[in-house]
Amino acid sequence: MRAQSIRRVVTVVTLLALMAGFGYGVNRLIASRKSKIPTQATVFIPTGTRAKIVLPGTLYLAQNGELYRLSDGFFTNLHLSVAQGQWMQPAYVPGTQDIVAVLRASEYSDLYLLDGQGGIVRQLSHNATNQIPNVWLNHWMFWPRFGADGKLYFSYDQPKSGTFAVDFNVWSGSLTGALANRQLTDSNAYTGGDVNPVPLSNGSVMYSRYAIGSGNVFSLIALQSPALRNPVLLTTPAQDCGQPAPSRDGTMVAMVCIGGTGLQSTRLEVAPLVGNTLGTPRVLVNNCLCSAPAWAPDGSGLVYFNPADSSGHFELWWIKGALAAATTSPAVQVTTNLDFDATSPPSWSPLATIPTMSR
Amino acid sequence: MPGSRSSTIRIARASARVSPARRRSARCASDTESVYRRPERNLPTVTLPSVEFVIKPQVRRERASVRRKYVRRHRVLLAFLIAVGFVLSGAVGALAYFMPAIVTAIQDTGQSLVRSSPKASTAASPSASASAAATQPPVVAPPGNPFTVLLLGSDNDAKFGGTVLTQSMILARVNPTTRKVVMESIPRDLWVPLSTGGSAKIDAAYLHGGASAAVATVEQDFHIHIDHYAWIGLLGLVNLINEVGGIDVVATNPVMDDFYPADLSGKNPYAYERVAVLPGPQHMNGGEALMYVRSRHGDLRSDFGRSQRQQQVLLALRAKAKLLGIADLPDIATAMANDFSTDMSISQIASLLPIASNVQLQNVQQVILAPPYSSSGTVANQDVLLPDWSLILPETHRFFPAV
Repeated sequence: MRAQSIRRVVTVVTLLALMAGFGYGVNRLIASRKSKIPTQATVFIPTGTRAKIVLPGTLYLAQNGELYRLSDGFFTNLHLSVAQGQWMQPAYVPGTQDIVAVLRASEYSDLYLLDGQGGIVRQLSHNATNQIPNVWLNHWMFWPRFGADGKLYFSYDQPKSGTFAVDFNVWSGSLTGALANRQLTDSNAYTGGDVNPVPLSNGSVMYSRYAIGSGNVFSLIALQSPALRNPVLLTTPAQDCGQPAPSRDGTMVAMVCIGGTGLQSTRLEVAPLVGNTLGTPRVLVNNCLCSAPAWAPDGSGLVYFNPADSSGHFELWWIKGALAAATTSPAVQVTTNLDFDATSPPSWSPLATIPTMSR
Repeated sequence: MPGSRSSTIRIARASARVSPARRRSARCASDTESVYRRPERNLPTVTLPSVEFVIKPQVRRERASVRRKYVRRHRVLLAFLIAVGFVLSGAVGALAYFMPAIVTAIQDTGQSLVRSSPKASTAASPSASASAAATQPPVVAPPGNPFTVLLLGSDNDAKFGGTVLTQSMILARVNPTTRKVVMESIPRDLWVPLSTGGSAKIDAAYLHGGASAAVATVEQDFHIHIDHYAWIGLLGLVNLINEVGGIDVVATNPVMDDFYPADLSGKNPYAYERVAVLPGPQHMNGGEALMYVRSRHGDLRSDFGRSQRQQQVLLALRAKAKLLGIADLPDIATAMANDFSTDMSISQIASLLPIASNVQLQNVQQVILAPPYSSSGTVANQDVLLPDWSLILPETHRFFPAV
């Protein structure tokens, strides 16, 4: 009798436990049906991956506030401190292993000279105000690029007019003298200004110039030479093209256009540059989130950023032979499970990387 | 004896074919037989009437049958109870999972919308409309028919102490049949007669009378009917975007602002912070997206530029919403708790989701009431936008039926 009672109790307890387990299982089963939206947790660190294609020279890229070097298919972390902000927009110093990069804090950004192996050589700008509550006394500097004249070109939110307007202008300077030595462009007020400067070998500067017309804001690719004169506009408002990337020989320009896309996607285009005129553009990739094109130093193709899936995480893509019309190969995804900073154009040095010395 | 062998074989085969139930029945019969035979073997001691020997087996058989039925019923009942127990535990597991969504559905959806009578809501005499305000049952479009939703967004941070303006007002006309959507942004500084009386910037309608007043004001001034409204606060938007893993946005231009309110990040809600959203395609989290849609000081178009960016982010959110399923509802509900309200029921919201995901981008028309639809002016020492109703109403009624 007692054994029967015990058996009954055990049976009931077992059943209750099974029911509880079943309830929990149903709960977890529903939870497992959640959409698999990739998050930052699914992003790999570049050094834990390898590029699918070995690209010539050395590419400098930024992900999640850190700078990486891609050479021979392998990534190397430059191991810069990110305590004060996010590292981004590296620019190689021609003929050296050094780079200049932006360290972005919440209210300002500064340019730094780095030795290419993780050492900070010098802070080039001091854009933080010591009057902490007056945040408008801080300044932004972005998109550094070196010209053939050895000068550094970048966008800088100076001069300010004492109004609500905060617009970028293109400036140039030297690493040895005053960094913001010469203002080159006079941007349209209340548009965001002039960004992405790229110095050309003929001394002019190509950049994205923002303007507002008919209630819409759009980007124009402009050529500035000489300083502070009216720029030559290479594209139309309807094209709404920006992020110009001229090839090393200056005959082609890659650009990102959003005209006619409903502001939800972009097109990657290339167009021949003859003098101060841009020829008919050719669409390389349509209906994408293509960003930040950069030509290979040997002209064998170009790279750009674009998400590979709905995660919105930007991967590196490569198009071989984009220089010559009608011989373009399909775009090839170079990286997977990474998330490059799409607002940080890669800088592509022709030099192979010197093996890292232990420091 | 071939004949008898064959008959033995037949019997064996027949016995092999007997079903277990019949075997049990046969066993039972043999038991009865033995009971029946026992008195024959002990004739001298028989004292019971012979009739009892005839009835007893039947009683036993009935009792056995009743017992079998009882046992069978008991087992069926037990099995049923166990099944119910499992179903209930499964239901409790599902209920526990969807609890945040259920709580949000109860608290934030199906909000009542007090509508003023058409007579009271004439634009000519807004002050009279307030006094004559009367409630009437909401007239909503039947399922499948085009309908209009007023989307409201508010700064509901600490400095407003619970009374908030609507920084964003977007009229959306959804046609489920043609899968076309029209979004018309109403400038927050538009100087209009309010349904609650007097004239003010249209963003004050919500401040004076909540969603009902905002809906009534837009209805009376734009001469349209609004079927539903949905309101979201700052943190609700930030959390929603974070919950869907961020959104992919093509930033139209550098969005620069040295006087962006630091009301969500700092201790002082009146402090400022700097904003620099760099141009081009990028993946934004909730905080970055909020800066993008909220900043206006550095834009020549001021609120119009901001309205365009708000519509852009709404479309980017729609693209992410296409990836969501019903199992995502609890997390989204938790993210938006206390920062969302609507008069739509949860079933109406659920029926909207497939429509939202099926609408193609080219079928979304965006309208912004920039000049010449409105012009800058000063009223009562306030910088306002003065509407040109002769232009606004025909443009609005192209997409939103006039009433």
